[in-house]
Amino acid sequence: MTDVQLSVENITRSFGGVQAVNGARFEVERGSITALIGPNGAGKTTAFNLISGFLHPDSGCVRFEGRRLEKMAPYAIARHGLVRTFQAPRVLTRMSVMENLMLGAPGQPGERLGMAWLVGSRSKREKEVRAQAESMLELVRMTHVANEYAGALSGGQRKLLEFGRALMASPQMVLLDEPLAGVAPKLGEELLDHIVSLRRDQGVTVLLIEHDMETVMSISDRVVVMDEGVVIASGPPEDIQDNERVIEAYLGKLKPGSAAAPTTTS
Amino acid sequence: MDIFNLAFWTFVGVVAGIYGLLALGLYVQFSMAGLPNFGHVAFMALGAYTMALLVIQSHVSLVLAALAGIAVAMLFGVLLGIPCSRLRADYLAIATVAGSETIRFLVTNSAFTGGPTGSIGMLGPTQLSTYTGQWTPFIGGITSFLSTFFGDAATNDLSMFFIVWIIVGVAILVLWRMEKAPWGRVMKSIREDEEAAKSLGKNVFSFKMQALIIGGFLGGLAGVLWALEIGVFSPDDFQPTLTFYAYLILILGGMNRLWAVPVGAVVFGILYSGTRFLNFYPLSLIDSGARAYLRLLIIGVVLVALMAVRPQGMFGNRKEMLLEK
Repeated sequence: MTDVQLSVENITRSFGGVQAVNGARFEVERGSITALIGPNGAGKTTAFNLISGFLHPDSGCVRFEGRRLEKMAPYAIARHGLVRTFQAPRVLTRMSVMENLMLGAPGQPGERLGMAWLVGSRSKREKEVRAQAESMLELVRMTHVANEYAGALSGGQRKLLEFGRALMASPQMVLLDEPLAGVAPKLGEELLDHIVSLRRDQGVTVLLIEHDMETVMSISDRVVVMDEGVVIASGPPEDIQDNERVIEAYLGKLKPGSAAAPTTTS
Repeated sequence: MDIFNLAFWTFVGVVAGIYGLLALGLYVQFSMAGLPNFGHVAFMALGAYTMALLVIQSHVSLVLAALAGIAVAMLFGVLLGIPCSRLRADYLAIATVAGSETIRFLVTNSAFTGGPTGSIGMLGPTQLSTYTGQWTPFIGGITSFLSTFFGDAATNDLSMFFIVWIIVGVAILVLWRMEKAPWGRVMKSIREDEEAAKSLGKNVFSFKMQALIIGGFLGGLAGVLWALEIGVFSPDDFQPTLTFYAYLILILGGMNRLWAVPVGAVVFGILYSGTRFLNFYPLSLIDSGARAYLRLLIIGVVLVALMAVRPQGMFGNRKEMLLEK
């Protein structure tokens, strides 16, 4: 791989007796769409938490743009341009959809205590942020609910709002934890188009967890497969499809002596 | 006492204003940053005690002592901020109650703070101590100035009424601007979901700290004003119930509505003090001691009824209230 933006090197993390991530290593290339897949309990979300600083690894290291992340606080990691979403979307329920999006924008001087009572809500930067949020609303097709409480949104809409909010943070890389879960198929397709154009137009790298194989195979450049806390395979989607260890992880081992060789449908 | 006793209602207004200021400090912590500080009264106690101790024992000028009182309250905010980063809301609530009660028991049992007698015993049992030496002429000056407009109605309480409510007004204006600014947006996001705020690059710890320090400032200021208003105070003035009064003010006015805080304070003041006039027939048949308890009972019943009819408070948003976090 030529230009590695994120590298995860032998990270481990256990919860009590459960070794959730057990020496996982993989790399994400700049400007790629990389899918992280694996059966339930494989350690995908834990890996996300370890990369984004919401958990710290017991050992191993995480490098992003040459910086070590494993001891950094989540907010610092986000400020370095690595922004995540959550499996269960975390929208700010008693704030409007608009406020949710505006919160995401970085570099707001009005967030400083000394400035807050001086800048008010009509500053130049605030207007920029508002304009940016308005175009984001259009992108995720939520203009009509701009002033609703985010808590009034459906599960799929929340997912979209969180996606839009992460983009507001002008990330260099986004970690999307099951971005399509609960999103209606038509909107889901649009969301995938956004993800593709995000990479194409803005050069944002995407690392996503997804269970829908069709999606994974269609949009990703590379696939990383985890099982029981380790990476068991990685490579282009077409290689992964035929990888025996991957099929084994998903479908279980064939009984020794069983005649039929595993066949894959593509 | 007559129900239309102006002097009495002026005093009620002063108390409502001071409680309103206390509630504003809680607003920043609880309604903005989502920190359930159940020991908020500690800020008030620290403000009052620090000021009185410095004046009485160190002969510091009143202005400096008052500022020091507020500063100590703010420092206590920093101290509370340290466990804040590690404790979840419910545990934080317990820790803050413990913190404020520790302070109250400390001043009740230390000789130099006057023990249970409070400010009057700060120089020991043989000598009465006061901290209002520089305050009395100052407030007297304002009162004589006010008497040109209000005549006989101008009392020291009326002067205090203006001082307190001007401070409340300024505090609300400043907080209102801050709440509208991006700063307020980050605060509210922490109240709603601090993990989400972190994921967007917001330094949650720093914002919580700021909320506690501002809470300490407003609480300490309320304590200083309280001490100056009543002239003599004791540990009993800083019972945990005061924290709950501040919550009551926030809830009565309407949760998460800054402008509703002074309204809540006034309603609370009227409800709490106004019920002292329940001496008409047939209640007048009951003796005054029993009536004092009846009064508290009535306050409780009215509050329960208000919450049943209007759970969102007077200006709260019912739709917002019903959304789960």
